[in-house]
Amino acid sequence: MRRRKRLRFENEPEALIMNSLVDIALSLVIGFIVTIPLFFESGIFVNAPGVAKAGAADVSDIKVNIHLLDDGAILLNEEIVTYEGLTELLPELLARSVARKVIISTDPNVKYEQVITVLDLAKQKGAGQLALLRSRR
Amino acid sequence: MKRMANIDILPMACVGLILVLAMMILAPLVMTHTQTQVDVPRAHTSEIKTEENLTITYTIEGRLLVNDIEILGEELGQVVAEELERDPYQLVIVRADKGVLHNDVLEILASVKKVGAKRIACATKRPKGD
Repeated sequence: MRRRKRLRFENEPEALIMNSLVDIALSLVIGFIVTIPLFFESGIFVNAPGVAKAGAADVSDIKVNIHLLDDGAILLNEEIVTYEGLTELLPELLARSVARKVIISTDPNVKYEQVITVLDLAKQKGAGQLALLRSRR
Repeated sequence: MKRMANIDILPMACVGLILVLAMMILAPLVMTHTQTQVDVPRAHTSEIKTEENLTITYTIEGRLLVNDIEILGEELGQVVAEELERDPYQLVIVRADKGVLHNDVLEILASVKKVGAKRIACATKRPKGD
């Protein structure tokens, strides 16, 4: 009886090993899930530029004005700060601000990437609104 | 005692694998609204979700495109106004190359705002290793 069974199994075709195929497929799916956010673009909402108006709307609120200079220096409320300094000071200022609005202005030759870096930092540190300021011509 | 018949899962696995590969290739093409390649700046913040939008692309060479159609700088306001007539709350995404001057981007943003855009976003990409 036992011998008969063994003979039947010997005649059957060998089963394919699916493990490697499944592993590859799974690795591809995981790789796809991990890398896909790098390929897709996202974005940051901004308040489109307006020209500075005379007279502030709410003088009692803490202001967060950032100005980027052509030479790469950063002015936070008219005072020069380093990027690390800005990283430390921004959360403190935003925590005391009601509107949590950050206004960013730049010198004429500042690169767009620098502005986005600061916008990103401001958002990470809790800015509610980001406003880009255009100087009056 | 009868043995249960084996189901041949090899074709199914192959089809699944092909589907995964096809999805990997097609997804970026389908999800990206524009085919114009621009090196947008990288940022950790990600606010906008996939939705119908109007994409303004500004390349490092100074080319300006609205939904992949090249236009002149003076035409931008008119073209965007026409698009916004259909949906005033349409999201306007500005895809500018990270190497361009911020002032040029500001001009684009100002033109878009002037014709009544209510929701404007700057396109970014996730930093590598984020």
